Amino acid sequence: MATQTKPQSATDRSTAFKWSMVIDLDRCTGCEACVVACQSENNVPINEESAFIEGRAFEWIRLERYWEGEWPDIKARFIPVLCQHCENAPCEPVCPVYATYHNNEGLNVQVYNRCVGTRYCGANCPYHARQFNFWEPVWPEDLRHQLNPDVTVRTRGVMEKCSMCIQRIRRATRSKTPSDIPDGAFNPACVQACPTSAMTFGNLNNPESKVSKLQNDERRYHMFEHLGTAPTTLYLKQVDTHGA
Amino acid sequence: MNNNTLIKVMVPAIGLSVALVVAVVGYFVLQSWWSSPPAVLGFGDGPTQPIAFPHTTHVTDAGIDCQFCHRKVTTDEAATIPAVAQCLFCHDFGKIDGTKSTSDTAAAELAKLFDDSGEPQPVNWIRVHRVPDHVQFVHAPHIQNGVSCTTCHGDVASMQVVEQVRNLKMRDCVDCHRDNNAPTDCATCHY
Amino acid sequence: MGLTRRQFLKWAGVTGVGAVVFNGCRVPDHEIQVQSPVELPEDLVTGRDNYYATVAQVGSGSEGLLVRVMEGRAKKVEGNPDYPLNTGKHHIRSEAMLQATYHPDRIKSPMVRIAKGGPFRAIGWPDALERLTKILGDADPANVLLATGPVRGKLADVTKLFAKDYGAQALGFDPIDQHVLRTAIKNIYDQDVLPDFDIAHADFIMSFGADFLGTWIDPTHYMRGYGEFRQGEDRAERGHLVHVDSRFSVTAAAADEWKYVNPGTEGLLALSMAHTIVTEKLGDAGAARALTGGADNHLSSFSADKVASQIGMSADAITNLAHKFAGTRGRALAIGGGSAGAHTNGVFNLTAIYALNYLVGSVNVPGGVIFNPAGDQSQITGAPIRDWKAALDAMRSGDIKVLLVRDANVVHGLSKQLKVTEALDKLDTIVSFSSFLDETTARADLILPGHTPFEEWGTDTPDVGPGYRTVAFQQPVINRFRDTMAFGDVLIRTASELGHAMPWESMRDAVRAAARDLHSTNRGSVTQPTFEEFWKRSLERGGWWDQGDTVSGTPTPPVLPRAAVKAQIAGDAKVFPLHLVPFEGHAIGTGQYAHLPWAQAVPDPITTVVWTTWVELNPKTAESLNVKQDDVVTLESATGDFISVPVYVNPATPPDVASVPIGQGHEQFTTYAAGRGSNVLDILAQAEDSDTGSLAWASTRVRLTKTNVRVGLPKLEGIEEPRQLPGEPVIVVFRPGEEDDSHS
Repeated sequence: MATQTKPQSATDRSTAFKWSMVIDLDRCTGCEACVVACQSENNVPINEESAFIEGRAFEWIRLERYWEGEWPDIKARFIPVLCQHCENAPCEPVCPVYATYHNNEGLNVQVYNRCVGTRYCGANCPYHARQFNFWEPVWPEDLRHQLNPDVTVRTRGVMEKCSMCIQRIRRATRSKTPSDIPDGAFNPACVQACPTSAMTFGNLNNPESKVSKLQNDERRYHMFEHLGTAPTTLYLKQVDTHGA
Repeated sequence: MNNNTLIKVMVPAIGLSVALVVAVVGYFVLQSWWSSPPAVLGFGDGPTQPIAFPHTTHVTDAGIDCQFCHRKVTTDEAATIPAVAQCLFCHDFGKIDGTKSTSDTAAAELAKLFDDSGEPQPVNWIRVHRVPDHVQFVHAPHIQNGVSCTTCHGDVASMQVVEQVRNLKMRDCVDCHRDNNAPTDCATCHY
Repeated sequence: MGLTRRQFLKWAGVTGVGAVVFNGCRVPDHEIQVQSPVELPEDLVTGRDNYYATVAQVGSGSEGLLVRVMEGRAKKVEGNPDYPLNTGKHHIRSEAMLQATYHPDRIKSPMVRIAKGGPFRAIGWPDALERLTKILGDADPANVLLATGPVRGKLADVTKLFAKDYGAQALGFDPIDQHVLRTAIKNIYDQDVLPDFDIAHADFIMSFGADFLGTWIDPTHYMRGYGEFRQGEDRAERGHLVHVDSRFSVTAAAADEWKYVNPGTEGLLALSMAHTIVTEKLGDAGAARALTGGADNHLSSFSADKVASQIGMSADAITNLAHKFAGTRGRALAIGGGSAGAHTNGVFNLTAIYALNYLVGSVNVPGGVIFNPAGDQSQITGAPIRDWKAALDAMRSGDIKVLLVRDANVVHGLSKQLKVTEALDKLDTIVSFSSFLDETTARADLILPGHTPFEEWGTDTPDVGPGYRTVAFQQPVINRFRDTMAFGDVLIRTASELGHAMPWESMRDAVRAAARDLHSTNRGSVTQPTFEEFWKRSLERGGWWDQGDTVSGTPTPPVLPRAAVKAQIAGDAKVFPLHLVPFEGHAIGTGQYAHLPWAQAVPDPITTVVWTTWVELNPKTAESLNVKQDDVVTLESATGDFISVPVYVNPATPPDVASVPIGQGHEQFTTYAAGRGSNVLDILAQAEDSDTGSLAWASTRVRLTKTNVRVGLPKLEGIEEPRQLPGEPVIVVFRPGEEDDSHS
């Protein structure tokens, strides 16, 4: 039922859009403009110091850093990790209340008002892309003025994760056909902020879109390809110069 | 009447009336839960607004289009409620002859727009239609896809006091979406 | 909604009990109210958002922004795609500016201190302005110091004019000022404003100490170029980046090669490369002649074998770098700054570094250094520490009696060794115009809180422009959120009260005057027949720029020095074995953004540490000192000052280096900043660059002592165990034509 959801009244939207993101690690410098842009757009709670110590910091997109080698021949690699919106998502079949499912636009969706907080999905996500609200997220009264009215403020006891800025997708595609929406006409907050343009977002069902063309890039790879999760998020490998 | 008869009559009577009360309350609660409460005891009535604004007069009598006041309904999330300044387009007694606003009731209601010093004041309307939490309802695509205002809001044109005619629960929305081949993906409304 | 609260209560009230039971379930009043405002301008329509263009000064950077505003509240910051510097992208700090506006600890109204050392009392603006006029009217202008953070554009004009007409001294403050860079650029290129670097079109970049992808000058602008430098669609081949630095920064992480040199020898390395290029005739012959004054042996004291040991690189490695730099097919570019200029020989270092661009013909050409027209630029830059030491002396001697301060947090930004608080206590009056109660403002007698950048008028003439004339317009995207007044407006009003009225009535008026000048040029990105139309269009676009207004020509290179200027490092290497390399906080800067929760909570990219200060140590160094991650250690410099910080074991830290971020250690400055970490500026030896008097902040040695305290270092790393398969995100390529000469 919910594992391979194709809502019954699939309209032409099911073939119109398939949203995807491509992240070029060779352009990424690890500046984290994406991280803060996402927090601002999606009402992600403020991570107090204690959140990091308890291991409960919220970042829908986070920047992971890996070391390679030892001083002086050492490299740091950055990789922004967000929900990969897997075609074959491990989080979806384990949800007992169908609060997470794959929609007909290629997105892995989390429905907050369905979620009962079993956290099975979070445990099953190999990318650790999901975060659980152990506490009611609080903002000081004044800072609530900044909250985005287009995005639900989550409550205690629900799981949340990257939605690919679905509020922006909805707004941009509302009552429109794909041909009305030029490639790159709108972007999720992270892609929009990325200073090196390492991130690209677009419609895979449009063969002319930038993301479609990048699917054949020689540097492409999916994170944990061997797990068979079939992510729609594609990474392009970093390039190392020989002898450097 | 001896004690026996009393017991024979009273016990079933009490039992029946308790059952009846439970049934009525139960019906009431469940009906409210699943749909909207039965239109008794004033439950179906619209709220009393700070200013008695008669839609009948404006829509039916004056023939004003919905979009004249609810301006953003075709393009935006919210239909939007007009500013007081917009009332004064027509109701500015100083400038317009005000043939439609000279009745005593109208004058009394309009007077509520102004404070003692004659400055117009904001109006805090009471919301009539409120979708459940966690729903991102957007007017524009409904109007753009040919859904008429009356489909959800009823015949506002003939309402003296605006009231809610549909329960606007999720089943209501989803049924309509199914019938009209509109998307039923959860993330259409929930995000 | 079936049951409204009113209906339910109406009915439930009949039963009495119902009212009690259901009252707890009621929907808050504000959720069932919809307000019809009196006036409804198009941009305030309920439930509708609008985007306004403005500009934010992010450190030395200039970012054109579009702010999403809904019902009078700023919701989201986005880059302005039209603005030439950041072209649609933005920095963490621009986004975090939203939190400055809606900060819970923002000063809510003007305040006055009832008695010296007593509490503050809120007052109204008329009273506050009157008090300010009285203070300035009573004081001798010669005894007044007007201290601001770095200010640019029209506000700089207003501030300078105010100081000049009134007769006060104006002094800019920035814990890390850029005077060394400015002086070097003046020396070598004869330019009064900083040039742009055309990173996008360069093919080989050699960066010395300048963390241009992290915190240096205008990172967003440089990152725009960097993306293209790596994978630009119209590039023939991927650019190659070599970064020379004493700390492993974000730029070092992005670099193809990271070279560690002994701190302070960056200039020596550049001159040694120049020596190789000149003697082997690899570069531009004309430039080589000019730089050496025609003498073949001019640079002979810098030959690779003579200086290799001083630099800490092998002679081969130096000549190899020189070969690569000069032998680049396409354009090679040298950039220097940051820690390379933060030594007592800073100007020498940077001058030598920027001279390299002459040898490869990269001066004022695409893919190289591109000069900016000086035309509109007006700014108050952070003054060198030498000037600040003099100002503090003047405070102590009574030559300065009144301090006017705006976003110049000298108590935090100047070392404790300079005894700033003691000097401030000697003053008669301190008036602050800051929006937050930072350490300096907390000592004020009168506070006239200023607007945040989203609430005020201004212009920005970028410190580093895009290579052509650019003026950005800053407009209020929201009405003031608190009872504040723009600093510029306060100055304009006070000036007229004091009897020397400025040519403008308000900041808006001043901005309009600037726009009038631009309109009259009748060229550039916005041209309109009428001024009002021009005004509207240029505000919509976020500014005005003229791609035709550039600087042409290449100056004649000056003659390079024959002898090296050595960096003086404070502290005996035997007693103080570790070289202290401070670095600017990734998001919180030198501390001016420490009050913003987003800036505090965004992990440092290299260490992933948040909310605190730490010291980075090489694993081997840590082992030899018997300290582990999370151990608290004290760092002590030769001045005898010390700080206690937890250890982060960083495999990329050179063995004899201890790196500590600047920016924390606030005593005040809102709940988000107060009492976090330590201020590394306090232990720096207060050495100066010999030419400019700027703080040589990378020239201190320290020793490290273990304490018995351990803390849990708050960091992102470890929250999710690393999941990346080693090596997966990398492919190794040969640079075309490089297969043969690859040595390592």
